Amino acid sequence: MSFKMEEKIISKDDLLKLCGDVIAKGHTLLAPGIAEYEQVKDVSQIRLDSSALPTKTSYKSYVFPKAEPILYYKRSKSDVQLIDVDVNGKKIVVLGAKPCDTNSINILKHLFNWDYEDEFFNLRQKHFVIIGLMCSSFDEYCFCTSVGSSPVSEEGSDLFLIPINEDKFALRIITEKGKEFIEPYSEFLKDGDEAKSNAVLESIKKPEVAFDSKQVHEWLGDNFENPKWEGIGNVCLSCAQCAFVCPVCHCFDLVDEDYSYSEGRRMKNWDGCQFGHFTLHASGHNPRDIQSKRYRQRVNHKFRYYVDKFGEILCTGCGRCSRGCPVSIDIKEIVSNCKD
Amino acid sequence: MPHLAEIREIIDESPDTRTFRLMFKDAGTAESFDFKAGQFAEYSAFGDGESTFCIASSPTRKDLIECSFKVYGKVTQSLQRLNVGDTIGIRGPYGNWFPLDELKGKNLLFIAGGIGLAPVRCVIENVLDKREDYKNVSIVYGARSVSDLIYKQEIREWKSRTDVSVIVTVDPGGETPGWDGEVGFVPAVIEKSAPTSENTAVILCGPPVMIKFTMPVLTNLGFKDEDVYTTLENRMKCGLGKCGRCNIGNVYVCKDGPVFTYAQIKKLPQEF
Amino acid sequence: MDELRNYARELLEKEEVAAVIGYQQVTEKRTKPIVITDPAETSRLVFNEYCLNNLAVYLTKARIRSLMRTKDKTMKLAIVAKPCDVHSIVALIQENQIHRNDVHIISFNCHGVVKDFGCDFNGDNLAAKCIKCETHKPLYFDKIFGEEKQTPKAGDASLEKINELEKLNSKERFEFFKSEFDKCIKCYACRAVCPLCYCQRCITDKAIPRWIESSSHQRGNFSWNIVRAFHLSGRCTGCGECDRACPMDIPLSLINRRMAMEVKDLFSFVSGRSLETPTLVGNFDKKDSDEIFM
Repeated sequence: MSFKMEEKIISKDDLLKLCGDVIAKGHTLLAPGIAEYEQVKDVSQIRLDSSALPTKTSYKSYVFPKAEPILYYKRSKSDVQLIDVDVNGKKIVVLGAKPCDTNSINILKHLFNWDYEDEFFNLRQKHFVIIGLMCSSFDEYCFCTSVGSSPVSEEGSDLFLIPINEDKFALRIITEKGKEFIEPYSEFLKDGDEAKSNAVLESIKKPEVAFDSKQVHEWLGDNFENPKWEGIGNVCLSCAQCAFVCPVCHCFDLVDEDYSYSEGRRMKNWDGCQFGHFTLHASGHNPRDIQSKRYRQRVNHKFRYYVDKFGEILCTGCGRCSRGCPVSIDIKEIVSNCKD
Repeated sequence: MPHLAEIREIIDESPDTRTFRLMFKDAGTAESFDFKAGQFAEYSAFGDGESTFCIASSPTRKDLIECSFKVYGKVTQSLQRLNVGDTIGIRGPYGNWFPLDELKGKNLLFIAGGIGLAPVRCVIENVLDKREDYKNVSIVYGARSVSDLIYKQEIREWKSRTDVSVIVTVDPGGETPGWDGEVGFVPAVIEKSAPTSENTAVILCGPPVMIKFTMPVLTNLGFKDEDVYTTLENRMKCGLGKCGRCNIGNVYVCKDGPVFTYAQIKKLPQEF
Repeated sequence: MDELRNYARELLEKEEVAAVIGYQQVTEKRTKPIVITDPAETSRLVFNEYCLNNLAVYLTKARIRSLMRTKDKTMKLAIVAKPCDVHSIVALIQENQIHRNDVHIISFNCHGVVKDFGCDFNGDNLAAKCIKCETHKPLYFDKIFGEEKQTPKAGDASLEKINELEKLNSKERFEFFKSEFDKCIKCYACRAVCPLCYCQRCITDKAIPRWIESSSHQRGNFSWNIVRAFHLSGRCTGCGECDRACPMDIPLSLINRRMAMEVKDLFSFVSGRSLETPTLVGNFDKKDSDEIFM
């Protein structure tokens, strides 16, 4: 049964008090800093600025770390002993998450739970509380509205904040998890006026829709071979900046690492589909041997394959990959050009 | 978590290919490890990582699990250094399988090249153990040279049976004095032997170049694309449909494969 | 601008070059690389204070080099290069990665570029490499455009930072780099944009044996960044692309610049300045200082 949204009001001071309490309890509190979601040590760090652009990276690394051990092994003579990893299921509260980030875990959930359930991901995301914040600005790289989201989307948030004035926020309780989290702080909450905060949401300027994702899906199906891919392949330098700053890119590598003669661990590390050796076989054969094929894979995976498999676009429209690309490849522009 | 298994026996199949006969350390796992012909597993050489191979033994012969690998990369080099009694890890079984139940009552033509005999052998033994369910069984196997032929012992056993027809061939120049098999590339040998396509399913595994030239021959002989089963081998890490490197379009080879009919392969983006 | 476009179009039309590697405008304050083979497309070429990329990186890419050879002839690659990018081209020629005859260098009298896209061009927003720049006129070129203009004055913050780090003791300095390298996610954007990171197969990608751990934990990040610093010593020309590309804002060029200072002190060598001098590592002299051995 779906949860019925509740509308409350909270003052900025009380919200900061709440944050102070979260830190005092020993939970991890994350908030957007300048480059990344930073762990808040002191509430004075908190900016809660709805007009800030997305940080350079998302908080993906807190559910899906850039490098994590998945098992330990000990070797002795001819025997091997395996030791399980204890996943740190510490509570993490994300304050002021961008609507282009909030849905990322929901999108990733499909992948990490179809067929085999990834316990590492699941344990971590279970302990996540996401407090979203409406977004009031965008730049030329933002395109959330083209992938079915919007700067005011509550999708993926457990609680959602809408700035009403300088020192007050409307606080929407979106999920059961959010309600559970906010319950101890009910003294801070007053009843809110949904119509009033809706008016704020409606007044927000949103990025224009740049492409129709259904048309893109269809075009990609018909244009696996298209000279457009070659043009991109000539310019792209095959790094993984785009994949690693992406809130939903999830490819990984598994490697063993010895840290002594007899002991070691198996690591699950981020990997990127733009690296040439990503699909390189031991025999030397490589199905995606040139950059144009790898870029085609990136776009297809996001806008076609994932949609076919899980019914969702593997992209939140945050524009991080384009903003950070060393050679200014703009995925919005490329996908907008996925038509004849 | 991988299951631990002990190497009970090592067979040198060819200068660069080895077979391990493996026994699970845990009796419960040995009992419950259930797989079908065509499925694969992830084998660990702890310290160097995991590698993907098919399970080469037949599910009808469950005492020891077998895998064969050609020494190519980091993990296979590491596996090659192991001795009898050493421990490796096994995760699996993963992927789909050859639909042997659907193929009952049909003629079966097995075509394999090089180490491609490993996945095919699993099916052959499975079929031979239930021989009465199938009509004519023929096997065409080729390798570069006589020493590159793997499963020489098994081939001898198959040849000694009267209910199986076996043709073994080596590439021109790969024959040795006294070689009594065929000399020629697999597609040419098939063309010459002209097997009937009527009520026949083909199980085809081998290097891409062999498959490329065998398919037109089969088509000429009247085989339909949907009656030709083969396996795709892509680089894999997780085997669980997550890590993102084996996918061809929206197909994860590790989940939706490795067994595909040629008709299915034709529909995929041509990127493998 | 028209001069540049016409010149590039002629080069392509006369089949003197196979492709022109240049910049195109994206937004008012952003450009991006473009590889042009069709003469009609030369109308997109620009050159201004927003041409940040060091395009020399494309000269060693197999797919770009493959454009040079057609059935019946081999053509050059034309490249639009700032005077500092020419240093990288020179270094590549010195290291035998490309031949001087393979490239047609179109350069400019340069008065600096911005530190990042979207900034206004002034002293406060000058790229770090431009602050210390001594080559406003290219050392080598086949064609030069533009008038000489004054570079805005600005303080050398990166040198100040180096001096500040010098003053720390080794433990403190280690702590500084530890906190910086902790951020590394191993996207290898620094490697991808570097013209001198031209290895077909980088040591980090070699698995047999695994020299550098691929995990982006502390040990893996240190190994990568230290190897990078060493491999680029005496080779890095100081274009600062690694700094700009790093999504985690790790001040990579501090390391490269410090190493370049060391190389200059010990061997009086500056990378990419002369086609006549041999490379640093390729030229052993008995009189060389022994101080590099720790």
